[in-house]
Amino acid sequence: MTWLNSLVLAIGVYAQRLVGGVAIDADRLSPRWTAVLGAVPLAIIAAVVALQTTTTAGSIELDARVYGMGAAALCAWRKLPLFVVVIVAAAVTATVRALG
Amino acid sequence: MRRLIPEGSQLTVGELITLFATYFGAGVAVAVVLVEAGTEQWVVVVFAVIINSATAQLAYVAAIEGGGSTVTAMLSGWLVSTRFGLLAAAIAPRLWRSGWQRYLALHNVFDPNTAVADREADDDTSRRVFTRSTLALTPAWFLGCTLGTALSDRIGDPQRIGLDVVLPALLLAIIWPQMRNATGRRVAAAAAVLAIGLAEVTPGGLSTIIAVSAAGLVLLPETEPR
Repeated sequence: MTWLNSLVLAIGVYAQRLVGGVAIDADRLSPRWTAVLGAVPLAIIAAVVALQTTTTAGSIELDARVYGMGAAALCAWRKLPLFVVVIVAAAVTATVRALG
Repeated sequence: MRRLIPEGSQLTVGELITLFATYFGAGVAVAVVLVEAGTEQWVVVVFAVIINSATAQLAYVAAIEGGGSTVTAMLSGWLVSTRFGLLAAAIAPRLWRSGWQRYLALHNVFDPNTAVADREADDDTSRRVFTRSTLALTPAWFLGCTLGTALSDRIGDPQRIGLDVVLPALLLAIIWPQMRNATGRRVAAAAAVLAIGLAEVTPGGLSTIIAVSAAGLVLLPETEPR
């Protein structure tokens, strides 16, 4: 990427955040739609996690990451600290990769 | 570090340190990829915090390396970052309504700080948690990118040490408590199924945006219309 491409990309990304942030007048939303909007971050993050676990460059690819993320889920379920979840995920992924 | 935790919030010292460490690690990994893709080192460092979206940059270089033109690469970068617009829409009503804080906060809407701010019950705590978690993320991101740029020759493949699962593991752990109730589980499961199901048939990033409809699909039938 050149600096000019990066700048154009940056302007577009900020414009999206700006439009998203000012477009919705929260005072005029019904409680029903407020609840929906409240669940949007969860939906987005779940989608990002799912894609980063199972896809590479737009195609489904199940590899060592699935083991790492499985271990992460287990740690999260056991309420282990965030730091442990992240380290275990990376360690399991790296180990499965090294063995495979 | 303990002083950084807002009184009465759910944020913990451990979480704040993990946010820092994870974004540092992710910054290293992303910088290595960008440098390998032929990006000049100063561009990687300077634009780390101007673009503030690693996924947009990664989508851009992936499209170029896949033989795409500058225009299609740009569109694919923006498509991926559309989710930050949606996250901004979701969290903005709880943050500052006017002034410079509003515009600075919008620039810093990421997945983890939005998630930790969103789980607070009152807006005042939510704002403070957003600020503190952003203060952990941004320097970590910048320092990670700087180190990754400097060490790109020595690190080699970031996947070898599992750096590619650091970010999804962090995000999974952050949303886990929301998945302890049935509605949260349904939203997350529906979004994940939609995203993976559509991944191969939609251009990069679009399936994430379509997956947002999971929020409406699950919550609208569960709540009473007025």
